[in-house]
Amino acid sequence: MKRFLLLMTALTLGTLLLPGAWAVRYPLTLTDDLGREVTLKEAPRRVISLLPSTTETVCALGACERLIGVDDYSDYPPQAARLPKFGGLYDPNIEAIVAARPDLVLISKYGRLEEPLRRAGVPTLAVHPERFEDIFSKTTLLGRVFDLESAASRLNARVRADVARVEVLTRHARRVSTYLEVDPTPYSVGPQSFMGVMIEKAGGSNIVPAALGEFPRISPELVVQKNPQVMLGLTLEEARRRPGWAGLRAVRSKRVYKLPRDLDLMLSRPGPRIGVALEVIARRLHPELFR
Amino acid sequence: MRVALTRRRAAPLVLLGSGGLLLAVVLLAVGVGSVPIPPQVTLEAIYKGLSGQPLLDLEVIVWQLRLPRVAMGLLVGASLAMSGAAYQGLFRNPLADPYLMGVASGGAFGATLAILLGLSTLLIPPVALVCALISVAVTLMLARRGRALHTTGLVLAGVVVGSILTAASTYLMLRGEDRIREVFAWTLGNLSFAGWKEAGTVLPYALLGFALLLALSRPLNTLQLGEATAHSLGLPVERVKWLTVLAATLSTAAAVSYAGIIGFVGLITPHIVRRLVGADFRLLLPASAIAGGTLLVLADLLARTLTRPAELPVGIVTTLLGGPFFLYLLRRQR
Repeated sequence: MKRFLLLMTALTLGTLLLPGAWAVRYPLTLTDDLGREVTLKEAPRRVISLLPSTTETVCALGACERLIGVDDYSDYPPQAARLPKFGGLYDPNIEAIVAARPDLVLISKYGRLEEPLRRAGVPTLAVHPERFEDIFSKTTLLGRVFDLESAASRLNARVRADVARVEVLTRHARRVSTYLEVDPTPYSVGPQSFMGVMIEKAGGSNIVPAALGEFPRISPELVVQKNPQVMLGLTLEEARRRPGWAGLRAVRSKRVYKLPRDLDLMLSRPGPRIGVALEVIARRLHPELFR
Repeated sequence: MRVALTRRRAAPLVLLGSGGLLLAVVLLAVGVGSVPIPPQVTLEAIYKGLSGQPLLDLEVIVWQLRLPRVAMGLLVGASLAMSGAAYQGLFRNPLADPYLMGVASGGAFGATLAILLGLSTLLIPPVALVCALISVAVTLMLARRGRALHTTGLVLAGVVVGSILTAASTYLMLRGEDRIREVFAWTLGNLSFAGWKEAGTVLPYALLGFALLLALSRPLNTLQLGEATAHSLGLPVERVKWLTVLAATLSTAAAVSYAGIIGFVGLITPHIVRRLVGADFRLLLPASAIAGGTLLVLADLLARTLTRPAELPVGIVTTLLGGPFFLYLLRRQR
């Protein structure tokens, strides 16, 4: 009986203490992507997210109802797309942001929102995923911010599983040489960039050398020399009309794909939907693996 | 501009020399690029291209990418420099450049609109061309009094129309921020995808501009004495003005539509040439065309080789290259 009582007390104490051990302790001090130490007094309840990838992650964590506004480009999920808009990176509506009285504004690393909002007494946190691994570390960070750490680790596990499902298929496939065009200047992506990593994971090999950095403006001569098997980001018609490109392998075999707008957006946003985007690309590069 | 009106004796020498320099630069620009190609492959590619034989891998680069790109550089550089020389004479203002009447800002507005509306890349040049022509037409309408064009009014109207259009383009750019770099790259000049077809489209505009401006070289000489004097000498001053603006606008607008806004070539080339050959427009205009073409092909060669296989925007190179060179000339001649 004495033993039983002891056990019960231990269990009760344990169940009482355990969530306390897991919960985030406030005030919480974090280092953000502007290199600042930011202290949150408590879990934020009225948040404005000004980066589409952050909006997606916050909603995927189940904290969508804590958002009171987003930037003009946040269009996913639909629940977030319906929220009031507060402008874009270069033309944010600062007065409206201040008037909405948020207790936290999630900002981009770029733009100049930090200073005017600080002067207005509005707390900001810069969260800006750029590299592939950032997707997971920023999700973890946002999990701490919103006191949703276990949701964050579940989300990370889910996204990693989405990615792994594609990687299992492509890992041993022959690399398909790929040219990805960001815009017809022509800008492309380097292998270390987020999109460059996605090409590799989808079973492609990027024709752009790593030495050129993450977003190089490349020479059209390079594309002719490398003669890629697949081109992404432009239409077949466009590729055909480029001087000297009509005879390239990708054009002759009609493996030139303009990315649909929603996929293009997913690709430019390191967020929770990258697994989906990765599969679409892998299907373009390796249709034989998905029969 | 205290430069002798004519240096006739030096003329053939200068034209021959600049022609030789141009040829050397063209050969260099075709032979060198982001992909190393041996000289005999280059020669073979040119031979095969001329005789219409099918081209192999690297030969495609020479015949379908480099040669038309060099040709476009020549046409655009020549158009800009010649129009700049004509404008500097017409407005008797050393700061006049071919973009003075709003061609560049009109073209940029059109290109921005086309890019942000997501139109096919094929439609960007025609939309830019139409907008460039419209903006010059608006400038002319604002500046004319009856049939007379007041020079100061023309300059001011051009500057204001240009500023308004630039503000409008910037606003559009900020609204479509995911395509901002594409627009920005256009405004810095781009010869990357200039093919034979594009060069062929620009050619008639350029030729028409050259022919008109060359025909205007004597009247432009007379105009240097001042409008009143030129008028009393029997020169149809207003008609000369209208024709000069028309010729410069046609060739510049076509160049801008296909190559974007390439700064500095149209402004400094005429000054460099004037120091070498004097201010006689019969020599100044063709020499400016040759020098402008040479300068732009050279700048584009550097743009595509300095960071190869990446590329720099050619407009940045022209300014970085032309600016210090011009300052050097300015100090030396003082």
